Amino acid sequence: MCASTSQELQMLDTMAMEFADSELVPGREESDEFPFKPLFGGAIRKASEVGFFSLMLPDEMGGANRSMKALCTVLREVCRVDASLGGIIFTNALAQEVMMNAGALDMIGRPGTAGGDPQEGLLAFAPFDNPVETGNRATARVVDGDYLMDGRVEYVVLGGLAGRVLVAATIEGQKDLSFFLTETGREEVMISEPVVSLGLHACPAVDIDFRGAPASIAGNQGEGELYLSQAADRLSVACAAMAAGVMWGSFITALDYTRQRFQGGREIVNWSQVRMMLADMAIKLKCADLIVEAASTSVDEAEDGWQQASRAAALHVCPIACDVANEGIQLLGGNGYMHEYGQEKRFRDAHHIQLLLGMPPIRKLSYVERIFDGEIH
Amino acid sequence: MSVTTARGQREFLRKDPKPEVTMCSLISGKRLPKAMIKETRRAVALARQFNQEVVEPRALELDLQKMEDPDYLPWDLVEEANRRGFFTLFEPKIFGGQGVNLPAMSYFSEELASACVGIANVVAVHYLGVATLVATWNVRLMNRLMREAAEGERTGKPSIMSMAITEPAVGTDVCEMELLNKSNAAFRTERVDGGYLVNGMKHFISNGHFATWNIVFGYEDLDKPAESVVVLAVKAGTKGLSLGRQERKMGQKACPASELIFEDCFVPDENVCFSPHQARKLRRPVIESNQQLVDYLSTASRPGVGAFGTGVARGAYEVALRFARDTEVMGKPLIDHEWAQILLSDMYANVFLARLTYIESNYANGSYGMFKMLQAKPIFYATKYTPKNILDRLMSPILDQPISTWLFRKMNYDLWKSEHQRIVDGLSSISKICATDLGLKNCQLALQLMGQAGLRHDGKVEKHLRDSKLLQIYEGTNEINKLIMFKSMISNLVPNTTMFDE
Repeated sequence: MCASTSQELQMLDTMAMEFADSELVPGREESDEFPFKPLFGGAIRKASEVGFFSLMLPDEMGGANRSMKALCTVLREVCRVDASLGGIIFTNALAQEVMMNAGALDMIGRPGTAGGDPQEGLLAFAPFDNPVETGNRATARVVDGDYLMDGRVEYVVLGGLAGRVLVAATIEGQKDLSFFLTETGREEVMISEPVVSLGLHACPAVDIDFRGAPASIAGNQGEGELYLSQAADRLSVACAAMAAGVMWGSFITALDYTRQRFQGGREIVNWSQVRMMLADMAIKLKCADLIVEAASTSVDEAEDGWQQASRAAALHVCPIACDVANEGIQLLGGNGYMHEYGQEKRFRDAHHIQLLLGMPPIRKLSYVERIFDGEIH
Repeated sequence: MSVTTARGQREFLRKDPKPEVTMCSLISGKRLPKAMIKETRRAVALARQFNQEVVEPRALELDLQKMEDPDYLPWDLVEEANRRGFFTLFEPKIFGGQGVNLPAMSYFSEELASACVGIANVVAVHYLGVATLVATWNVRLMNRLMREAAEGERTGKPSIMSMAITEPAVGTDVCEMELLNKSNAAFRTERVDGGYLVNGMKHFISNGHFATWNIVFGYEDLDKPAESVVVLAVKAGTKGLSLGRQERKMGQKACPASELIFEDCFVPDENVCFSPHQARKLRRPVIESNQQLVDYLSTASRPGVGAFGTGVARGAYEVALRFARDTEVMGKPLIDHEWAQILLSDMYANVFLARLTYIESNYANGSYGMFKMLQAKPIFYATKYTPKNILDRLMSPILDQPISTWLFRKMNYDLWKSEHQRIVDGLSSISKICATDLGLKNCQLALQLMGQAGLRHDGKVEKHLRDSKLLQIYEGTNEINKLIMFKSMISNLVPNTTMFDE
């Protein structure tokens, strides 16, 4: 799949929209009940078949040639309906990106083409945390020339689903971070029950305890921080695209509802304050779309300061999505708080998405620090 | 005109904002019985003990239980609160309650909500039913139903109340009579021989599945609901009343939001709290008296929601503080980062500001609203220190007489000054709006501070966030409360302002 021209992107957009409406809308309410109800395996399989897990891979691996616009287009459409699948696509793409930055393309494999369960081809990763900041990492030791991993890593997305997990770890005797790939099915990899969380319920996460688990290093020792930082530079804008998708779903639902619901003898859309709230949502959504468009273009074309554009897009758009999702509930009143209308899910998902790639305050400080260091301007 | 004369001062003070609004605490402080402080401290201690022994060990587990089985009902919590006397704690002693002063309930609610808003609501919604009953000033029924709650505590079989006003097609409209008359109200209470025949559905009824008594709003004339409000006490198990499903809510899962279905449900006259026939005996036009009824109820309940907002703001702050103390970020404790200190200070200030709004609202209520009578020193001390059995023997027969209802309604409806009604109404809405917004804000800040740890259910703060959102919706959305605030505090400054008529 290649999506570099505007026509190809348009086709991808249409395909993603149709996918979301046909595969995600019908079961959205039930899939949100994971882990108390089964995971939406069918939707994951279909997503794999249409190539959503290969978007960040090079052309020759069936990917979209690392087109950030392609990834953002798909994420926005998917998250409009159900951000959980967006979380799965994002996590897998982030892990792939780290691997590619490490020069470990050959270790990635091609999701969904191994002939087995497409979930097996996914890569698990901890995308809500920066291990450099919080120390959420394993340790690795060298035994007979092989690496063995120990320790606990929390909130590993897809950890209970994917065949392999990419983990940040510190090699014994070293200070810096390295990345290791290991198989999840091994007995030395102890996987917890699914972690119940705020949002993205069907984007399953687990805690993993490693007890001497054999692992392969991705890239060079001690360069993990660099690989992760480079991946975050590129994929930050994808977080903004996910947030924009949630905003879009929230706005459309609110618009439909306010046209149908009556209060005080008139459609509530005819209350000027309701219109004001809808206008605020629409304006924020439009701005979010413009920001995502500009930042993803900047990334794809490697414009001057593209890293800045990508990171700023996420830090700016994600909290706005929380506001919009909040208004989206408010416009539906009590109904907005109930599962049936999807707004409360979007509220949870928006708050969840804003924490992708680590704590926002630390990410902001890191942003300004790089300005001081002259890395970005 | 000079301020050196009393007349001159009065002239200056006639301008807005008036001291009655800006100095509620100062004005009412000297009037209040000192024993309220001791009572309030005891109420806070009781709530903290309940949190420690019951809520904290149970809240997260119960939340998960409800996710797995949305129909689960935590009766154990109701029974435990009943055992501890929480359902009569704030009911006046003359009605068989323990008589702790009503503003103390806000502090009590803040405490419970700091641990779990849903569980706090299980307790507080009983008092929403009580407040609705009190707002009708039907003293005979107040005496009967509150004494049943006391009996329920004595026997260990909870007898608690709910309040049912929202209908599937009528939410915000119920707050204002002007809106109600234009609404799609469909809950019919038809006058029949010996009582009312009730048909329709109520939904989003907190505690509906737990309540022994539902205090239900209906309308004799669906074309003019605002002029035909009927309030009924309908006991669970009454023929024609059935429970529908529990709503699938984002948060506050401990407290069921229920559907109540009425099909040819007959409610006898003895259970009619308020009716158009009774409203016509009051001094004001019926529609104004019905607005007074809703205002009485709201001025008591909205600061209560403000207290919930304060509580959840505090709960989020406390979780964030512990996390900052126990977590290292970038090689040093998070709490040693200046930005984190500022963020925690913001959260602390938010809690404090939220609390001030319900305190000030309650002061206004004590000076100008429903709480005034019980906080008058002679009545307060007489009821406090008269032995319960003597109060029961002396007062109960009197309260059952029609003259008691007549007298209470005369004092509370006919003599309630419109200006005072506006102050209490406006301040209650301010508390509801501000404290609930600050509650949500603090949950969001805590989430930012905690990052990934905040996303996890066992991190506690995500539950606070989910719980907090409902506070901006129930007891009137914050938007309708802003309109109420405008109507109460601002519209009178600009004559000929029109409202609800775009």
